[in-house]
Amino acid sequence: MTAAHEAASSAEQYRRESEPCSRELRAELARITDDIDDPVIKLRYLRSAIERGGATHIEHVPCGPVRRVLYRLHGLKSLDAVAGDKIGAKSLVARTRARRIVAAGVAGSLLFVPMLLVGLAVQREPVAPTIAPAAPAAPLAVAPADPQPPVEPLPESLPADALGVVPGTIWLADRGPGWELYSNGLRIETTYKVRGEQREYRVHHRDGTLEPDTYSKPAGILFHTSESDLWPLEPDFARQLRRGTVGLLHYLQKEQSYNYLIDRFGRVYRIVDDESRANHAGHSVWARNDDVYLDLNSAFLGVSFESRWDGGRSLPITRAQLIAGRNLTHYLRQRFAIAPEMCVTHGLTSISPRQGLIGYHRDWARGFPFEAFGLPDLYAVPPPSVALFGFGHDDEFLHAIGERWPGLVAAEQALTDEARQRAVPVEAIRRERQALYRDWLMVEERG
Amino acid sequence: MDDRNDPGSENSTAAAGSNAGTSSTRTRIGLDVGTSKVVTARGDSTRSDTGTQLNAFFAVPYSSLHESTLQSNRVPFYREGEELVVYGSASEKFAHMFNAEVRRPMARGVLNPSEPAATHVLETLLSTLVPVARSPGEVLAFSVPAASTETGHALTYHEETLKRYVRERGYTPLAVNEGLAVVLAELAKESFTGIGISCGGGMCNVAVSYLSIPSLTFSLAQGGDFIDSAVGEVVREPATRVKAIKEESLDLTRPGGDKIDKALHIYYDKLIESLVEELIRAVTRSQRLPRSDQPLPIVLAGGTARPNGFRERFEKALRRRTLPFQVADVRLASDPLSATARGALVAALAER
Repeated sequence: MTAAHEAASSAEQYRRESEPCSRELRAELARITDDIDDPVIKLRYLRSAIERGGATHIEHVPCGPVRRVLYRLHGLKSLDAVAGDKIGAKSLVARTRARRIVAAGVAGSLLFVPMLLVGLAVQREPVAPTIAPAAPAAPLAVAPADPQPPVEPLPESLPADALGVVPGTIWLADRGPGWELYSNGLRIETTYKVRGEQREYRVHHRDGTLEPDTYSKPAGILFHTSESDLWPLEPDFARQLRRGTVGLLHYLQKEQSYNYLIDRFGRVYRIVDDESRANHAGHSVWARNDDVYLDLNSAFLGVSFESRWDGGRSLPITRAQLIAGRNLTHYLRQRFAIAPEMCVTHGLTSISPRQGLIGYHRDWARGFPFEAFGLPDLYAVPPPSVALFGFGHDDEFLHAIGERWPGLVAAEQALTDEARQRAVPVEAIRRERQALYRDWLMVEERG
Repeated sequence: MDDRNDPGSENSTAAAGSNAGTSSTRTRIGLDVGTSKVVTARGDSTRSDTGTQLNAFFAVPYSSLHESTLQSNRVPFYREGEELVVYGSASEKFAHMFNAEVRRPMARGVLNPSEPAATHVLETLLSTLVPVARSPGEVLAFSVPAASTETGHALTYHEETLKRYVRERGYTPLAVNEGLAVVLAELAKESFTGIGISCGGGMCNVAVSYLSIPSLTFSLAQGGDFIDSAVGEVVREPATRVKAIKEESLDLTRPGGDKIDKALHIYYDKLIESLVEELIRAVTRSQRLPRSDQPLPIVLAGGTARPNGFRERFEKALRRRTLPFQVADVRLASDPLSATARGALVAALAER
């Protein structure tokens, strides 16, 4: 192509119709640009990544995962085009890591190609828990694998399913190496289980006092979505689906991200054991009656669905996930005597203390099927982050969730009413409440 | 042009001038050359200043009285032979004072072929918004409509005329599809993936974009002017009066009040129905678009999309049909009037 042609082509770039790049490349580029806030830099990057050579031949690579890795490397390499611009730290780290991986890959392939080939020849799929060789089963109806406190009375009875017999209580019905089976049909794969930091938290009261006791038993369940890559739920992608989950499990295990993950086929994996805290909640707030919880990593079990939350406009999980999630919830609620109003979603609790905003993480900020889980609709409850601590929301959040949930409307209305009564701007009330949150947090951290 | 009297342009260029003074980088300008309005955007990716001129003019016979009246009112005009030509935003306001009729340099999105003064007036008007480039290599991105059977060769002439003018002002021109400009302005968070629709005076422009690549563009040769003239005909009122009512008080969420209001509702619905039908037809026909993909957001922009209730009516018309694509949501641009210019500015800023 001559310089003149190139110039002409460049001048036409914003008006000439072109075919979109492949779906996989689009997905990778969109993911990388998530970390670029500036629209101009984002546009510059996308144009560079799409127009530069090298991506077209990747689509002929027959192996999906390899193709995706190559697209990812292509996308990260294209960050060079905006190297002088302000791009997110996540992208910079990813780019640096990608370079290291490429360098290590080249060096490795030069030095260890024969070994690698031999290794690949004998490599087997990781032994999936479901096809684990049968081991002598433990006696039925014994205590679960982990020591646990005696079951406390439930705050209310579990809802009966519409069809079939449901056992009145849930017990460990069978177990084998790497799995546990419970009487309600729940099967927990335990091969990825790790022990984390001891669960320890304290509880505030609404009057501002901090309970002196430290608790170690989970008081609630926080539902998440993994926001990981999703392959189509079709037989042609069986291998990618399986490998995607295994990759996700290794990552979650390393980061100790959740206590449980439910994959798209409804398999439940225990990742961080129930006695340990997982890093799932970030800055989050929830309350029940007089008790206020600020450290949800410790106070709540993190249960994540392998899925991507899409704004709550549709249910982003499979039927198998829903059934498994419900069984797991019943089991955890019974085991730890968790109140139904303490089973909440990450999107309802997450905050950004620095920005004074709710919805820092938005998974399940809308659309969690509480009713199908036999739980009360917590979207109708004023979130304590707003009602107690005056956190606000921005347009971006509103755009993501579409409309405010009824509890949020009620909480914000209450703040407005209070402002009117006290004849002060609502922003003053919000500032006052947010200062309260910082004080409480400081007291808890010092304690 | 030497006789040009241009006090009216001060307001438009003041913000841009001050901005230029504080910026050490090269100037970038986004320009929306619409049938009804000309809008510029200058600044950076976080903040832009916009300037607007009505894309209209009128001519009155020269007399010293007329000239002094215009001067004392600080109305921009120039003398062309034995005529005084008043242009820009003041033209609509002052036309009735001189018992003159407002004329348009553009029609249906391109330079008006039946208006002999079109090019001259448009260039004069643009000069109030676009300063001469300070250094070579400065980029000016301007909006162009998508080709349609109605525009034909007139689009080529329109675009080349604008490019020539932009070069004369010292800029490197960059043409940006009008619908895509809306995507660039409003869908950055979605990585510039979605559908941008600019509903202007002369036409509606649509672009389906994936990561800023326009994969489908088309235009519908109907817009605000079509509504004004159609309503004017049935209620026997001048289109200018209909336009004034439309811009000041039309609320599409309420049932139509008087006969003008009712007729406006009817023709707005007709425009929306035509637009949705054309969108579905174009997407169905297109071989370029992925058949199964993620839901796309739709952004509506332009002066014709401004009346309260337009977005809701459009969304209803869309949801009534079986669509060949999934829609995430339908939203109105943050500032519908300047969205195209702001999008063009993003494209200009992205140029190295």
